[in-house]
Amino acid sequence: MVDISLTVNDRLYEISIDENMRLIDVLRDELGLIGTKEGCGEGECGACTVIMDGEIVNSCLVMGFQANGSNIVTIEGLKKDGKLHPVQRAYIEAGAVQCGFCIPGMVLATKALLDKNPNPSDEEIREGISGNLCRCTGYNKMLVATKKAMVYMKGE
Amino acid sequence: MDIKKVYMGRSVEEVVRLLGEYENKAKVIAGGTDIVIALRNKVIEPELLIDISKVEELKGIKEDEEYITIGSITTFTEIVESEIFQSNLYGLHKACKMVGSPQIRNKGTIGGNIANGSPAADSVPPLMALDSIVTLLSIEGTREISLEDYYYDSIKENELLVNVKFKKPKDNQVLTFAKLGLRKALAISRLTLSSFIEFDDNIITSIRVASGALAKFPMREKEVEDYLLGKSLNEETIEGAIEALRNSMDERLKGRPTLPYKRIAISTILREILEEALVFEKGVKAW
Ligand SMILES: Cc1cc2nc3c(=O)[nH]c(=O)nc-3n(C[C@H](O)[C@H](O)[C@H](O)COP(=O)(O)OP(=O)(O)OC[C@H]3O[C@@H](n4cnc5c(N)ncnc54)[C@H](O)[C@@H]3O)c2cc1C
Ligand code: FES
Ligand code: FES
Repeated sequence: MVDISLTVNDRLYEISIDENMRLIDVLRDELGLIGTKEGCGEGECGACTVIMDGEIVNSCLVMGFQANGSNIVTIEGLKKDGKLHPVQRAYIEAGAVQCGFCIPGMVLATKALLDKNPNPSDEEIREGISGNLCRCTGYNKMLVATKKAMVYMKGE
Repeated sequence: MDIKKVYMGRSVEEVVRLLGEYENKAKVIAGGTDIVIALRNKVIEPELLIDISKVEELKGIKEDEEYITIGSITTFTEIVESEIFQSNLYGLHKACKMVGSPQIRNKGTIGGNIANGSPAADSVPPLMALDSIVTLLSIEGTREISLEDYYYDSIKENELLVNVKFKKPKDNQVLTFAKLGLRKALAISRLTLSSFIEFDDNIITSIRVASGALAKFPMREKEVEDYLLGKSLNEETIEGAIEALRNSMDERLKGRPTLPYKRIAISTILREILEEALVFEKGVKAW
């Protein structure tokens, strides 16, 4: 076992984990944050996307102990004071959520994109979510949702 | 996975000491985008895993009078966002920008790309076209090896890849890159080419061309270089360069089922890198 401390959704955790755990295992099995999904386990699908120190990463490719000292945001961390994050609201309104499996990762990728670049072009939006596979929607709804979110985030 | 111990590396010195102590039982992990899958599939089974992703000395891009030095844990995203790779070194920006997905680029490192040794490592052909030197460090000392020779005498189990460096380009030199993959995102590249060309009044006075996935490892394409040296770039010489590359591939890949496809495919990307160089030479901005 190895001791690590990390901040997840603004809360500091000091835990002891198995050396073989990946970040996704720590989040889901140790912290009970099961919003983060495991799809492929190989970096291809983006379902396990979380924001680590400001950047999206695949939590299936990060070892748990590497997150020591890091600041992580998962989908559970987006809602503030009972209110959905503008990106979450936009996704729902645009009908971009079907089975929902890809959505936690997709929403975090969209949020990270808009935090860095509040006015992305269509191409930049597609590029920003290009590491997130969705088997239901065909991605056009994500484009619509992201454009709505751009407007909401400027209004805030 | 059956890792017994993990270590959060803080300095190059202690990482190298641990690699020496544990010999072949230790592995370093940087971005994890190759090694975590290898660990899970039990392709490798180290006892000790050393995280180097927070070792300050391995971070960042530095410039001095003569060289540009890229620390081994510099990520693809950091290279894409760096101003250094915006004008005549754009080829490296383009190569890193086309890697995987944003998530992979945020974590994947230049050192991991080289150390992993894949024939399709996208950053290697441009770095090889730049005639880069790799610095490796172990308890036995420091070793500098050209990236071209690296594949014949590659990293040892007790060595840490510290950085990769190359001479700063002159104003009349340009680095270009092209990649053929089915999808821009995520397709681990099948074919890549990169060229570093010096022009003097339209004439190519110096040239290095490197390929990815046209052999067991990335390599220099000397036949193309020999053909183009001393010539100027135009439709005829571009066609001639394609023919020269095809001839050397015919020998190298004889009998391989992928040869007919690769013979056709390289014409597109060889044309692309040479035309980009031409645009630069003519003073028109391609980027
Ligand atoms: C979905 C997906 C898509 C990808 N797409 C591409 C692509 O388009 N193009 C491409 O080139 N690659 C691609 N890759 C491969 C990978 O992202 C790159 O090879 C990356 O550069 C590896 O770097 P890393 O820091 O993640 O390496 P790690 O996974 O951390 O390490 C890889 C290997 O190198 C060793 N190592 C790492 N750093 C050092 C060092 N400093 N000294 C000594 N040894 C070291 C490790 O011990 C390990 O054996 C992709 C991977 C995935 C999962
Ligand atoms: S589960 Fe991590 S990328 Fe698919
Ligand atoms: S909504 Fe089903 S995978 Fe995207």
